[in-house]
Amino acid sequence: MGDKSTPLLAVLQLLRKYNLKGTEDILRKEANLGDVEYENLDLPEVELASILTAHHTESDPYSYEFAYDSLKKFVESSLDIYKYELSTLLYPVFVHMYLILILYDHTEHASKFLDKFGPEQEEYYQEDLNRLCAVKNKDQVKGNELAEIYSSNKFQVQLSRDASTQLKRTQAQVKSTLGGLLGEASRNENRTKVYYGLLKEPDLQILPAPIEDEEEAEETPDKPKKKKAKKDNIFMKKPKSDPNAPPNDRIPLPDLKENDKIEKSKALREAAKRVQLGPECLPSICFYTLMNSGQTAICADICDDSTLLAVGFNNSSIKVWTLTTIRLRGMKSADKLQDIDREAGDVLVRMMEEKDRDTCRTLFGHSGPVYKVAFDPFKTMLLSCSEDSTIRLWSLQCWTCIVVYRGHVWPVWDARWSPHGHYFASGGHDRIARLWATDHHHPLRIFAGHLSDVDCIQFHPNSNYIATGSSDRTVRLWDCLTGSQVRIMTGHKSTPFTLAFSACGRWLASGGGTGEIQVWDLSSGLPTAAIPPANDSPIHALAFSRDGTILASGSLDSTVKLWDFAVISDESLNEENGNGATAQKEDKFLLRSYATKNSPIKSLHFTRRNLLLAVGSYEGSL
Amino acid sequence: MSDSELGYGSSFTVDSVKVIAESVGIGNLVDDAAKELADDVSYRLKIIVQDAMKFMQHSKRQKLSITDIDHALKVQNIEPQYGFIQPDTLPFRFASGGGRELHFIEEKDIDLSEILSAPPPKIPLDVSLRAHWLSVDGVQPTVPENPPPLSKEAQKLESVDPITKLSKPANKDSAGKPVCGKAARLKASESVHVKQLATHELSVEQQLYYKEITEACVGSDEGRRAEALQSLACDPGLHEMLPRMCTFISEGVKVNVVQNNLALLIYLMRMVKAMLDNQSLYLEKYLHELIPSVSTCIVARQLCMRPEVDNHWALRDFAARLMAQICKTFNTSTNNLQTRVTRLFSKALQCPSQTNNESGPSMVPSMKESEKTPLASLYGAVQGLAELGAEVVKVFILPRVRWLGERVEGALSGIGGADRLAAGNLKHQLLKVLAPVVRAHRQPPDLPEDYKREYGYLGPSLQQMVSKLRSSPSSGSGGGAVAVVTCTPPLLPSPSPAPSPALPTLVSSSPSPVSIQHTSHTHSKTIESVANRNVVITSSAPQSPAPSTPPPQKFVIVSSQQKNQTQPASSAGHIVMHSSQPTIVRSQNSVVVTSGPAGVAPPQKVVVVGVPPPTHQLHQTHQQHQQHQQHQQHQPTAGGVSQAPVSVVAKPVFARGGATPQPPPELDDLSHLA
Repeated sequence: MGDKSTPLLAVLQLLRKYNLKGTEDILRKEANLGDVEYENLDLPEVELASILTAHHTESDPYSYEFAYDSLKKFVESSLDIYKYELSTLLYPVFVHMYLILILYDHTEHASKFLDKFGPEQEEYYQEDLNRLCAVKNKDQVKGNELAEIYSSNKFQVQLSRDASTQLKRTQAQVKSTLGGLLGEASRNENRTKVYYGLLKEPDLQILPAPIEDEEEAEETPDKPKKKKAKKDNIFMKKPKSDPNAPPNDRIPLPDLKENDKIEKSKALREAAKRVQLGPECLPSICFYTLMNSGQTAICADICDDSTLLAVGFNNSSIKVWTLTTIRLRGMKSADKLQDIDREAGDVLVRMMEEKDRDTCRTLFGHSGPVYKVAFDPFKTMLLSCSEDSTIRLWSLQCWTCIVVYRGHVWPVWDARWSPHGHYFASGGHDRIARLWATDHHHPLRIFAGHLSDVDCIQFHPNSNYIATGSSDRTVRLWDCLTGSQVRIMTGHKSTPFTLAFSACGRWLASGGGTGEIQVWDLSSGLPTAAIPPANDSPIHALAFSRDGTILASGSLDSTVKLWDFAVISDESLNEENGNGATAQKEDKFLLRSYATKNSPIKSLHFTRRNLLLAVGSYEGSL
Repeated sequence: MSDSELGYGSSFTVDSVKVIAESVGIGNLVDDAAKELADDVSYRLKIIVQDAMKFMQHSKRQKLSITDIDHALKVQNIEPQYGFIQPDTLPFRFASGGGRELHFIEEKDIDLSEILSAPPPKIPLDVSLRAHWLSVDGVQPTVPENPPPLSKEAQKLESVDPITKLSKPANKDSAGKPVCGKAARLKASESVHVKQLATHELSVEQQLYYKEITEACVGSDEGRRAEALQSLACDPGLHEMLPRMCTFISEGVKVNVVQNNLALLIYLMRMVKAMLDNQSLYLEKYLHELIPSVSTCIVARQLCMRPEVDNHWALRDFAARLMAQICKTFNTSTNNLQTRVTRLFSKALQCPSQTNNESGPSMVPSMKESEKTPLASLYGAVQGLAELGAEVVKVFILPRVRWLGERVEGALSGIGGADRLAAGNLKHQLLKVLAPVVRAHRQPPDLPEDYKREYGYLGPSLQQMVSKLRSSPSSGSGGGAVAVVTCTPPLLPSPSPAPSPALPTLVSSSPSPVSIQHTSHTHSKTIESVANRNVVITSSAPQSPAPSTPPPQKFVIVSSQQKNQTQPASSAGHIVMHSSQPTIVRSQNSVVVTSGPAGVAPPQKVVVVGVPPPTHQLHQTHQQHQQHQQHQQHQPTAGGVSQAPVSVVAKPVFARGGATPQPPPELDDLSHLA
């Protein structure tokens, strides 16, 4: 069977299929086909379709190149005010044409097309293009994650309606929101109101605070008055109602236990001694180096009161260190526990084994690298997630695993506690983020929508929202109550690996795979500031100081950088008021950069008094 | 991601697919099939690698590891590849031939019995936690845990190309210094840009440090000196104090040379050594102060009060080694350091007439002028040149042997104990330095008359030495590789006169022709003789072939272990390892037949696995040196059999203790200078 006649045969078969005898006969005669060939007509359905479509668009592949070229020229020659917006069209058109060329089997042309126009595309798309170029024939389109996303979703490009009614978006504005796998977020998606304010603190007046106060007064008898005034201030602030705050009972929060209340009050007293930070008053940084860990240490977390450090390792183990002189004690055995008077005031102390004097304890249970460890706010439990697709809850009293949460199908990249405890959220390779409660073995909410892995997750300080960052280069905000997506924030040029909410709850910072930092305003969902990368090393740790004036970032190039967040947030507020003629000056945000000795930063943590703790693992001298 | 260079559509070539097919037994793969396979394989590989990158990123690494690939395969429901655990990257080897190019991974056969018999590897250290201050109120303290505030590269750039500093505004990024304070306020208030005067301020802490260090370095407390030198050699962030330190050294040398204070000169040179050893310092900017000081300590006419008793030779040796180190580190085409240093030394050796190659005593009358150059200076110049390498020796010392010999002869026959001693030392040193060079330079037979005619007074001794060298290729002295320095009082700053037999050079070989036997016999004899006196011996690397040898290795040998040392078999061309403990030797073709005098045999490796006891090491290292030398000089032996150079994979081991109550190597002697 000659190649030329194949389409003819296909048409014949089609005619026969639809029972169009007359036409079939005429065609047969005209095409001068022999009976043998006719009888053998038995092309498989798929091939038939492909022959027909190929026939349909046999239009020559050269025209794609030409068409794209003329589109480009058109964009280039258009008026400056339209140029930037129009140029955003080029990438989706380019990808579409490439995929079409592949689908119609013009592989040669496709690769030529890619070679010719690929390098012209924006830098932040290059990573995708590199992944896309692996696709070289139409069978591979099916099954390739990226190609499927592109062919089955719409790419979002925002264009102003027309010159007279709309303000033109400047190049900077256009650029700042571009970069998502599927373009920008549409305007409608970010309409929902987000209650980004903080919750009212529960009343803690019943505490045994006065006793402590006296002690303190005795310790520092010279200035007791000042301290009291400060404390009053803190208590005064809380009752003020924030218009942006959600009602306290919007999502049910667990009642505080007696022990938790003591913790809370401790935290408050510590906060009273907090150092006010600013450009003139930089925090001290204490650096914890993990020696002999090589490349095995993956993640680290420091508990809220900065007494414990947990590190997750490559070899599935978790180690917990104490950072103070208090040793890590386990609970007594069951029969010994029975002897203890449960009504005694110091029952919590008595139930611990006195003999244990460990400074470091190891937890075994996972069967893959541990990608995240997290202490709960009251440091009684530890959460960890791993490549083995499980999340485990560990007790820091028994030093054993309490619960294994299954639900994720593939590796779990990140898991975080709610600031109020009880709830936690996780996200992983299966592109889904989940909300869990410790007392349920199945997730309470499933947040689906990301087009690629959910790489990082973070709870809002008021526990009502969850932010997720994904390999599709979007950051999304989800409402825990409704389970719906309330913000989709585009503008990251690389995968975000870490997220941090500011202390006031309005700002969200995310650190990317190439070292960029984006700051988002949750009220609008727009990027506030973009700090371009100093080099290509990814940022894996971000932390806001407790008073929200300093943003600290730690990256794999072994530096800790301090950014002036007051300037960043001021600037965006100014912009809002209309005088937004601010040139992006990254330099003025940066306060200081501290290099370590080849110890990539794994985690950053501000203590309640605003001392910065950093954790890194020493990887040997270069 | 530099994709612009790589392009988008890289894929396997048809050739590689065919090679792979061949390797699994498919001989004739059709081109079309190979093409299809290549495309498919590259697609799948790319997918896997892209997935593996996710695992790498989430492990907070920047290097892809094999486990990442395994996890990516697992995610794709593919059985992971087992047994490919490799801590580091596997280097691809390249081979081509027959028009085909091939990249492959070298797979070595592993002998299991070797692994079983080897001592078990060390248990890896447990992960531990260590805290330090990265910043205190915004200022990064310069503690060893923090990186140096100004990296060595930056210092180098600054000294090589100072213009970069002007163009770049003060970078708060790199330095952990606060911008707040007076300077910042000034900067902020002034609108006119005035070029600031180069102020050089040291903080109070730095001033204190400077004071402490300098006092400790030249003080009398040996313990403190050791600490101070350690600090100089290791601490980061000293570069701000460098100008002061260098001035201190240069002034100190000037004063103490005049006062002939040997001890202080030694201390100052040790400071130089420590600063050179500091990884975070780049001294190029201060060489103009350091080089004159160091060269003073090499060639000065007099360095001590009693030249006949004090061991100023060791100081000259040490300073010469320092000079060689400086030349090696800082020589560039712009500063021509080595050329200038060589010229300096060769001027000291300048003989009155250049016609010293002629035979006959014709130069005697013209010697008056240069008789002024004292023998000690000549010694220093010879030593300084010798440290710079064999080629330098050949060009600058060898032509002047005749004249030098005459000087030595004159002094030896004369009166005056100091002169005699100096002449003896000079002669010994000359022989030691020249013998290997002459051996490489001349063809046998070595006739005493020829030598006498060519080299004058030193000829016969040289001939003896050279023929000794030739006859014992695998053992022997490897060009005087054994420099035995004893911990004897002469280098102490104490005023008590030292007994002269304890002088190191005199122990190993006195200038009399009898002890020029620098074979292995002397070697062990030396050790034994010294060992009997319970002294710590230090053996340094050979000094004559300086450029090609590894940095000096230090061995501290305890006396009681030395008695039963056996001799390495000599001249047979085999490598004999003395192993009282299991030592694994893997050798490939330990005997190599060389094609001719000019042919260079490919370097064969003998890898010694495990850590041999220090005595062995001494032996092996000696062998190594000897064989290195042999290779360089490439003298065909009678059988035409040469031996492959041995590279010993082991670090210097310091053995201490033993039966005798041995004090740790005293810091006041020069044994650790070696």
